[in-house]
Amino acid sequence: MPDIVPSQPRGRDHRAPDVLRPGAWVPMRQYPEDEEVDFAIVGTGAGGGTLAAKLAEYGFSVVAFDAGPWFRPLEEFASDELEQEKLIWTDNRIVDGANPVELGHNNSGKAVGGSTVHFMMVSLRFRPEWFKSRSQLGYAVDWPVDWREMWRYYDEVEDALKISGPVNYPWGPPRRRYPYRAHEVNAAGLVLAQGCEKLGIKWSPTPLATISAPRGLSPPCVYRGFCGFGCSTNAKQSALVVWIPRALRAGAEIRDLAMVGRIETNRYGRVTGVHYQREREWRFQKARNVVVAGYAIESPRLLLNSANAQFPDGLANSNGVVGKYFLVQSNDAVWGVMDKEIRWYKGPPSMAVTEHWNYTDDGKDFFGGYAYMSQGPLAIEWARSLASVRGLWGKALKDAMSQYIYQAGLKICGEVLPREANRVELADQKDEYGLPIAKVTFSYCENDQKLRHHAVREMRRAMEAVNAKDIWDSESTAHLGGTCRMGDDPGTSVVNADGRSWEVPNLWVCDGSLMPTVGGVNPSLTIQAMSCRIADRIKAMAARGELNAPAALRSRTAHAVGAEI
Amino acid sequence: MSDRVRFPGYSTLAKRNTSSWNEATRLVVDKRLYQPPARCFFTEDEWPILLAICDRIIPQEGSDRVPIANFVDQKMAENLGDGYQQADQPSMQEMWRRGLRAINQEAKLRFGETFADLPGGRQDDVLHMVQRGDVRAPAWKEIPPEEFFKGRLLHDVVTFYYAHPRGWDEMGFGGPASPRGYVRMGFDRYDPWDAVPAGQDR
Amino acid sequence: MSDDTKGGVVLATLGIISVGVLTVLARRSSLRPAVQSIPTGTRAARRLNKSSALLSLSVLADSSVEHYRGMFFNKAMFLPVIASAANLASSLHGAHDETPQGHRLRHAIAAISGAIGVIGGGFHLYNVTKREGGFSWQNLFYSAPLGAPYALILAGIMGTAAEHVRDSSEGRLRLFGLPAGPTLAALTSGGLAGTVGEAALLHFRGAFHDPFMFLPVTVPPVAAGLVAKAGAERTPVWGSFTRAWLWLTAILGFAGAGFHIYGVGRNMGGWRNWSQNVLAGPPIPAPPSFTGLALAGLAALDLLEAK
Repeated sequence: MPDIVPSQPRGRDHRAPDVLRPGAWVPMRQYPEDEEVDFAIVGTGAGGGTLAAKLAEYGFSVVAFDAGPWFRPLEEFASDELEQEKLIWTDNRIVDGANPVELGHNNSGKAVGGSTVHFMMVSLRFRPEWFKSRSQLGYAVDWPVDWREMWRYYDEVEDALKISGPVNYPWGPPRRRYPYRAHEVNAAGLVLAQGCEKLGIKWSPTPLATISAPRGLSPPCVYRGFCGFGCSTNAKQSALVVWIPRALRAGAEIRDLAMVGRIETNRYGRVTGVHYQREREWRFQKARNVVVAGYAIESPRLLLNSANAQFPDGLANSNGVVGKYFLVQSNDAVWGVMDKEIRWYKGPPSMAVTEHWNYTDDGKDFFGGYAYMSQGPLAIEWARSLASVRGLWGKALKDAMSQYIYQAGLKICGEVLPREANRVELADQKDEYGLPIAKVTFSYCENDQKLRHHAVREMRRAMEAVNAKDIWDSESTAHLGGTCRMGDDPGTSVVNADGRSWEVPNLWVCDGSLMPTVGGVNPSLTIQAMSCRIADRIKAMAARGELNAPAALRSRTAHAVGAEI
Repeated sequence: MSDRVRFPGYSTLAKRNTSSWNEATRLVVDKRLYQPPARCFFTEDEWPILLAICDRIIPQEGSDRVPIANFVDQKMAENLGDGYQQADQPSMQEMWRRGLRAINQEAKLRFGETFADLPGGRQDDVLHMVQRGDVRAPAWKEIPPEEFFKGRLLHDVVTFYYAHPRGWDEMGFGGPASPRGYVRMGFDRYDPWDAVPAGQDR
Repeated sequence: MSDDTKGGVVLATLGIISVGVLTVLARRSSLRPAVQSIPTGTRAARRLNKSSALLSLSVLADSSVEHYRGMFFNKAMFLPVIASAANLASSLHGAHDETPQGHRLRHAIAAISGAIGVIGGGFHLYNVTKREGGFSWQNLFYSAPLGAPYALILAGIMGTAAEHVRDSSEGRLRLFGLPAGPTLAALTSGGLAGTVGEAALLHFRGAFHDPFMFLPVTVPPVAAGLVAKAGAERTPVWGSFTRAWLWLTAILGFAGAGFHIYGVGRNMGGWRNWSQNVLAGPPIPAPPSFTGLALAGLAALDLLEAK
């Protein structure tokens, strides 16, 4: 039986998989381990994949590592929920707190392309005021960046991914038109639309990172509905299909099935490279700079696991902030049965959205916001909802499942406040590599609960307004953030506005752990935009000689900058 | 109502050689259908309890039943975890072992028979008790009944029924869909390869 | 027979019909030297019959596929299929008819087809506005296309025009009571403009992802302008140039169908996944509307240059 789960690394022998052509390869530059590369990036998802491409395009030498396999979606992605668990980080982690978080499929990918291989492609921008939540809205903390700067980078990412979005988006400041048009909204999305119209609030087709028209070798979406289990057509514009190929063309090396276990430092307090395991051998890659981009659990875990005599509490952690202020988003949902066939398994799960409660501050007894979206769980996911969450089994379960094609649902992406008590730490248990695993402690605070309560009430109103029957609600969380947060104050943040750690000048973070707040929208677009910004900042710093970069590159980029002036 | 065939004539397997299934899907589903795993984790004593539980959670009539217990067994044997574990919880393997022991103890305590020997109605009663946390057997000190029931038992058992074409057909799920996805996505619209509810004209 | 097979049979039938129609039209094409004995009115009328035939063929194939996609949920959706089929047969008959007299049955079929097109336009407009979001870009893209019934209206107009023009005596060619040349020029120009609008809307929906998608929004508008100009002048000043541009537009109609065939094959699963991809589009029968309208434009020039 052919192997549809790669067990051997594919990024080697000077070639890499060409995921857009079955069985094909592209040439890949490789860097010797005993020569310093400019940047060793740990993780190839929304943060690391994007950064690898941009830095390579700017002329830096880049090696990016991923613990996961390098999949070929066209040949290896089955339309099967169980089989596609292979995209997920199913290595154990401990969860604790009053509201222990569901991990695994919920928010943790393990593949070249990271969690973008299984994400639901919702691509929304932050509300501008959220970048200054503290100063402008009176809660949480400020980001150390200005929204106007981020707006440019959102433009860049939306164009890079050819986001398919509506001609007019109802919320936020004026913005460029989405590069591709929105998809036709499925019946599940139209239920959301009807509900909003009845409640007198706006709705929109969701801007999605899957194409509505051909793009290069990628065909447009066929609406198969297995988005959360890997796109087998390459319509989904994941990092695997967008940033990684760009990185390869620009001369980056990607090492798949390469688990980075530890970052090495020297006596000057600088990082010198990464220890990683590949094909059961521990190896070491020298690097002038190391970027941690493993998302908000693995990134702090790596920093903590890299503790040594000089950094007894882990790297960049003398202020004890690494791993703290762990964030998720609340993912409460309301479900109902309609009197028309919905067949929500067709198309991306969230084809319609309302951000009304992200942009309206009246009538809220809580800080922060939430968006809610239509849903489309497949067979196993829905059965688990009805059984494991709602408690149905036997005939009652069968009866409820028989209504599947009539189901509709609304689910929030709800803001959660950053709190020190929510954190990622090292557990005693060790993984297959002998490294301590992560322990994730999370509890909602009163504000989070009020938001959830409000959201469920509003979604119930919407479902009642469209005459849904058998309405019930469920709770969950989604996404991660906060554990290596950026800030202006070295006392309360891990990295500065450039993703550069305060404590170790050649150690960077570039993923969702940077986010000091999560807002009420899915984070992928913001993470990618931040990566593009960090790449630009690194380029500028290199030109000014503020970076651990080779003299040749410094003068080269300095020349380029000089020429522009 | 669960006795009635909801989508007469609908078979996801019948689409196996159409453009709704790709090669990777055929490989995976064939293996699941024609090479179900043999029991190798649960003991001979535990096995009848698990079989009986699966039958109550997912009643199956007729032939061609999905061997749910075999897949639960495989998951434990191969340690195919979900990627997270609660801090105070034992491993999923331990949870199943303790849970099966406790359920059996509860059955004997309440109704004087082992769980597998009880009539179906009584088995349901025991399971409802466990679900509610209304239990008396001392074995429950080692494992919280509600958490076990919802978080482990229901989670694992329903997974493997609805990972199978029989489950997909019964619920009217479109099943595998690559390269062919769907065209008609509006209210009350279905594609020729979709499941059509009984009593509706094609 | 499963729905899949039924759909395949229908598509194959449409394909065979199309090839047959085009063969018949091409056999007696106007590449033949003009026979002087045929009056201008009749020559123009036959051109208009061909125009109506092509437009009807386009509507027959397009409405069959699209209404099948819509599951014929409203029984009225059979009307444009029937009307366009009848008008196609009728127009083919007229294309070979050298009688300098209007044919009452052909005229009636064309008029009724046009009327059905108007009714269809009403249904489509209702379909667009009743979906959530009302008259929005989203619903213009994905609800019933407004340009489709327009093509049937044009087929009906060209079909009735054919009989009127055929009917009027030499020297006083009239159309709906007005001078035939300028009137037909105006109708053709308007027809082209509307069809350009539909192509522009749907190519905008496709984000003009392929540069060739700019062709139907650049070439036919020039044709529309040239025809309108010719109609406004007593004697067309740029007659040859306008004819050449109309032929270019006519070729573009077929090239467009070719591009759309390529486009269907470019979707996931290509032609093997025809049961999804032919319905998903791009619509193969739509571009030949431009060919039909170009023929009407040529007929208008015939009439304008006849004095």
